[in-house]
Amino acid sequence: MSEIKLPQDFVSYPEARKQAFMKLKALKESGRRVVGTFCTYTPQELVDAADATPVSLCAIGEDNIPPAEKVLPKNLCPLIKASFGGAVTDRCPFFYFSDMVLAETTCDGKKKMYEYLGKIKHTHVMQLPPGQFGEGALAFWKSEVEALRKDLEQFYGITISDEKIAEAIKLRNRERKAILNYYKVGALKPSPLSGYELNTIITSNEYAFDIEKKIEFLEKRTAELTEKYHKEYEGKPSRPRVLISGCPTHGVIDKVIKRIEELGADVVGFENCCGPREKADLVDETKDPITAIAEKYLRINCSVMSPNPGRLETLGNMIDEYKADGVIEVVLMACHTFAAETSTVKDFVTKEKGIPFLSITTDYSTTDQGQIDTRLGAFIELMS
Amino acid sequence: MSDYVQMWKDLGMDLETHDLLCQVLPTAVGDVYLTQENRPTAMDFWDLVISEVHGIRPAELIAAQKEGRKVFGTFCVYVPDEVIVAANGIVTGLCGGSQFWVPDGETVLPKSTCPLVKASVGARLGRTCPFFRIADMYVGETTCDGKKKAYEILGEDVPMYIMDVPQMKREKDILKWKDEIAEFAKKVEEFTGNKITVENLAEAIRVINEKRKALQRVYDCRKSECLPISGRDALLMTQISFFDDPVRCAQMCNRLADELEQRIKDGVSVVPAGTKRILVTGTPLAVPNWKLHNIIETSGGAVVCEEMCTGTRYFENLVDESKTTLDEQFMALSERYMKTNCACFTPNTGRIDDILRLCNEYKVDGVIDCSLKFCCLYDTEKYSVSRALKDAGVPVLSLETDYTDTDAEQLRTRIGAFIEMING
Repeated sequence: MSEIKLPQDFVSYPEARKQAFMKLKALKESGRRVVGTFCTYTPQELVDAADATPVSLCAIGEDNIPPAEKVLPKNLCPLIKASFGGAVTDRCPFFYFSDMVLAETTCDGKKKMYEYLGKIKHTHVMQLPPGQFGEGALAFWKSEVEALRKDLEQFYGITISDEKIAEAIKLRNRERKAILNYYKVGALKPSPLSGYELNTIITSNEYAFDIEKKIEFLEKRTAELTEKYHKEYEGKPSRPRVLISGCPTHGVIDKVIKRIEELGADVVGFENCCGPREKADLVDETKDPITAIAEKYLRINCSVMSPNPGRLETLGNMIDEYKADGVIEVVLMACHTFAAETSTVKDFVTKEKGIPFLSITTDYSTTDQGQIDTRLGAFIELMS
Repeated sequence: MSDYVQMWKDLGMDLETHDLLCQVLPTAVGDVYLTQENRPTAMDFWDLVISEVHGIRPAELIAAQKEGRKVFGTFCVYVPDEVIVAANGIVTGLCGGSQFWVPDGETVLPKSTCPLVKASVGARLGRTCPFFRIADMYVGETTCDGKKKAYEILGEDVPMYIMDVPQMKREKDILKWKDEIAEFAKKVEEFTGNKITVENLAEAIRVINEKRKALQRVYDCRKSECLPISGRDALLMTQISFFDDPVRCAQMCNRLADELEQRIKDGVSVVPAGTKRILVTGTPLAVPNWKLHNIIETSGGAVVCEEMCTGTRYFENLVDESKTTLDEQFMALSERYMKTNCACFTPNTGRIDDILRLCNEYKVDGVIDCSLKFCCLYDTEKYSVSRALKDAGVPVLSLETDYTDTDAEQLRTRIGAFIEMING
């Protein structure tokens, strides 16, 4: 095996990034394959079955944006720009150590960004149908799942057996249940943990490579928190409870999620990719694994789907289950699909569910913090 | 446009607001078109159509509806006209090209949506465009995120059929698009009550091919060093071709081409020798969006080609006319439409090949790559396009604009400087 090298200006990196690099380097040195991924539509089970570890390449960090803007338009979603910027500058350890990238044609911005990313590293783009219900959508998506299996086999020079995939499905389903149960701690009223922690633990766990250990950790933490709830929280008054909806929020966790809680409300749940959007729905373990994977992933309710009625249904259920007093939608700048759904979601939340709704459009910079604080503060006052 | 008030009333239009539009349009036409010198006389047809743009053609469509024909409104050059024409249906383009409709679109769509999408939704919801009132069915397609999501909102107000356009062009995607066309054909049959047969589809393919050839003939004349027609006039012809009857469109374009070919023989040019020849590429210019062409052609340049949906993407590539079963014909349609290179596809290197080829064919001095605001597809491709052009030694200017006039002077400054640079 060839020597695994670090980026040239590694010494100048901040400590946390250095650590992430060393962790990934060790993983690679152990002979493990690494596949970079972007989206909840990625069939992780296939990556697992290729004896590879999927690592998320969705990046945060304002400092990743200027290098991306040398190639990409300024007027593009910050998540896309940060991901590309982290990749081209060798700052993102996950991209740096990925053998290949696995991507999907979800939104316009990502789709076009992958064209540039593909020039740096082998990028397999799965073509996701633009709707879940169209005739042939499932069959087509299934053929894309099959094509991915072939590409993984070819790229690594391996064979991926059905048994291996079935095994991965079982493991990932157990992981989904553990994550979902952890999220459901937020449904307890009053909530025994902050939304900040809720989100941070899940995000950091995306980079825990041993899934068994991850499940064990989450189960333990869920039990602890449930116990803490019964001992310290049950029956006490609750602060206003906020459900987050919209775009992924890990890039704005400090400027939005943390601020909501500092300003006097509890973030209890996430109806977005950082939450249980796809966790509640398991892969059918009784079917042929490729069919089951195709069906499961096509059911994900992202705004890239047209129409996307499942999002409203999930949102409605979550409002009830998490006993939300209000919904705050976070839209990343230049995300057309979520922005276009805002008026529908607003009508649904305010008219059908009868609770207040706030939509915030923001990016990874801190320039709008003051405005966001003012709007959050006013919204929380309204709920109190 | 005063003779049509009763028709507009019957269509349920908002007459008061529509009057405002009727007042500004003649001024715009006058400023952009009638100030030009030495125009081809055959442009009289398009001058007439544009002067009565909300009257003449809408009246024809309504008359056809009274005979039981159906009108389909479309938004994209991937929707196959042939299928609709085969079932004796009528196609009309619906893309909005004016700022006038944008505020009505913004009542339901995010402000950060492309102006074409906002204007199209606004023209429907504001009831200020007869074409949007007349169309019996809208045909949308899943091309870009903005349109895809806007159709969900439009679909609440009008019957809407969505075609699922692939995002790649592999063999299986072309097959998928064929299936999608076959599905659409069923819907059209059901909606019109007319059967699509090998014969009527073959005839429709022939008719639309003739229209494409006629448009190509006019464009071929623009390749001449002796430029017989302005970019503005050619653009108007292309824009109107989306609304017109295809047979008449072909006749009128051929009539214009006859005159242009004669002009080339006689050495009649609309611009002085040495005027810089500009190819415009990017997002479509829906009627009445003449802003970019007008600025270029009043800043020392002449637009000789549009690599756009309102340009070469609309008519290049013919459908194979030799097929003898519906299945083969649908496949021939799919193959032709999948040759069109839009940035909604990934990868889309074919567009760069097209631009480089057109630069040669049209003897281009410089390229202006212009996208509508918030079109992240074309915006993202700008980097690849400008790199390819620089490698080929063709000067390129990348711009972004919308339907407002607020940036007109900035654009004029940049375009003026660009043309000056080419001169130097």
